[in-house]
Amino acid sequence: MTAKSDSRDSTVAAPVLTVNGAVHAYGGKPALRGVDLVLRPGEIYALLGPNGAGKTTLIRAICGRIRPDEGVVLVKGRDPSRVAGARSGLGLVPQEIALYPNLTVAENIQTFAALADVPRAGVETAVRRALELTRTVDRAHVPIKHLSGGYKRRANIAAAIVHEPSLLILDEPTVGVDIDAREGLDAVIRGLRDLGVAVLMTTHDLDQAGALADRVGFLREGQLVLEGEPRALITEAFGEQMEILVQLAEEIDTAGEIRLAAEGLERTRRSTVWTRLDIDGYAAAGRLDKRLRKAGLTPREIRVREPSLANLFTLVADRKLAA
Amino acid sequence: MTQSLWKIAAMVRVMALDLWRDRGALLMTFLLPPLVFLIFSSVFAGTTGDNIQLKLAVADTARTTDSGRLAAALVRSHEVRAEAAPTADEVRRRVKSGQADAGLVIRADPASADKPFLIIADPSRAVAAPLAQARVQQVLASALPDVTLRRTITQLEPALGGFTDEQIENADSAAALMRDDPSGDDGGFFEREAVKDAKVGGGVIAYYAGAVMILFALFSAMQGALGLVDEQSTGVADRLLAGTAGMGPVVSGKFLFLVGQGLIQALLIFATAQVVYGVAVIQHAMLWLPTTLAASACAAGVALGLVSMCRTRDQAQMLSTFVILVLAAIGGSMVPRFLMPPWLQTAGWFTPHAWTIEAYQAILWRDAGISGVYKAWCVLTIVGLFGLVVAHVLARRLRR
Repeated sequence: MTAKSDSRDSTVAAPVLTVNGAVHAYGGKPALRGVDLVLRPGEIYALLGPNGAGKTTLIRAICGRIRPDEGVVLVKGRDPSRVAGARSGLGLVPQEIALYPNLTVAENIQTFAALADVPRAGVETAVRRALELTRTVDRAHVPIKHLSGGYKRRANIAAAIVHEPSLLILDEPTVGVDIDAREGLDAVIRGLRDLGVAVLMTTHDLDQAGALADRVGFLREGQLVLEGEPRALITEAFGEQMEILVQLAEEIDTAGEIRLAAEGLERTRRSTVWTRLDIDGYAAAGRLDKRLRKAGLTPREIRVREPSLANLFTLVADRKLAA
Repeated sequence: MTQSLWKIAAMVRVMALDLWRDRGALLMTFLLPPLVFLIFSSVFAGTTGDNIQLKLAVADTARTTDSGRLAAALVRSHEVRAEAAPTADEVRRRVKSGQADAGLVIRADPASADKPFLIIADPSRAVAAPLAQARVQQVLASALPDVTLRRTITQLEPALGGFTDEQIENADSAAALMRDDPSGDDGGFFEREAVKDAKVGGGVIAYYAGAVMILFALFSAMQGALGLVDEQSTGVADRLLAGTAGMGPVVSGKFLFLVGQGLIQALLIFATAQVVYGVAVIQHAMLWLPTTLAASACAAGVALGLVSMCRTRDQAQMLSTFVILVLAAIGGSMVPRFLMPPWLQTAGWFTPHAWTIEAYQAILWRDAGISGVYKAWCVLTIVGLFGLVVAHVLARRLRR
């Protein structure tokens, strides 16, 4: 059984999470403005959006911490803000390492097993399973404070899955994690998806979202403005266009910036890296290189690559893409 | 019900393991209280006894036979640590610089009708002047009774219209007899009887055992309760609020752990009191245990309630320092309550410290029964449970 086949099966299974027309405001300031979201077993959904877009409010509503002013939030058909039992099928992995640092990985998981109503007789098995699924067996008896960043993140997940939830919510799971550790985390999340767990994650790591998520949703000002499979969304937005990235050898003056802008390039977050989309891809990059050299703006490197979720995110955040 | 207890037990285990693995905190929690108790009891055990040895600078500017005898008697006396000074100004200098607790200038013959003695004391050491006066009178009465007699005769003479030669002769021979063989009788009005003479000094020891117990129970409870703020900042609270447990078991688990921690601290302090000072703790165990549980519950509840009101660790730490210091000062954990002005003694009843100290003293010092301590048990338990309820209510509000 593969992940993809699971994912396809999930489209017909009953939803684990249903958010329908969720509206919520804090002191008159709208945070959610009619959000719809359905998540089925064995599906990874990445919730993207700039800070203040409403991601945290949506997560709090799903966890039953707040009741939406309007609309419905159901976890396995039950309202988590009214029915405590609805939350038994929910596991939250907070952004911080929400564990006791002086306790070992196993002791932490045992604690959260007890608090999540795992029967006493089944705790040992449940802890073992959580350790195996998160690949932390070899660090089971090491205090959290002595673990590397990657192991801490995985232990953080282990404590949230010990009671076998059907919906796992991960809040920024890769903050402060290096590339190797991130791959390990991705493998753990995929493993859980393959077991039929519905995974909802918020992340600023668009590469991770693109590589891992079966579906992504862009939240902007409390509205889900774009949703779908990452590849399909990128193709729909950019068609055959390729992204050309120009990295300059040094900082440039205003005249240089005007020249680059005239070439259709836009500055990225790094001042020496400029980007543009072009249907001609490599050929266009070659021509651009010659023109820039002629203008005295010698690039250190020019790269051509397929557009990513990052490009799409920029379009959505900058309102250049119609919802 | 069983599942709830299981959750609370899980949190007690978290707290216990956390403390066990933090060796610094472990030492602070269990070694410091008996140590501080020993220091406090060593310091204050002397303040109510007769063994305060005042350092007295003595200048004999009268330079008569009797003034010389008095200065020498003071230097010899074990009641006071007297040191001779050449001049009155030197006495003033020593007192001002703190080299002497008080000063005595013998400026006229002790038997004269004037005021022959000048006591010099620093107003910041209020007790030094009367104590110096008492010690000088004590030495005067015991070592120079003839001088006292002659002074009395000198003072009586004008009232009686003079003495006959025979009377003067008799008085002189009586004085000479007293001078050669001082009886040691101070000739004063007072005789002293020590209450419960079998327990000399024990009252203060029992006082400070209770004072240090509640001081550290509250201090350690505050440190333990700070975990509530940490659980919010590290996301543990978010994790638990997203599940079925909520923060209830966390609060209850912490409360039980802190009560147990207070009990162990009290055991260590009172064991030290029994071993070192012979305070009869084991003999009063039946009343000591409920008192200790009530005091620990009070400390745990107050700490959890107060910390729950804080949003950040900094806030909680500041509040806890303030509360620990102020309550300890008013409640009598630092300075004995009987030395405080009446209004402060009354204010002390608004602190758990005063109730705890009073209850322990009643049991261990006054041999009181339940009737003497039940009120303290009730007050301490009710305050503790109130704090626990506040912590639970505020933890529920975290959900939003």
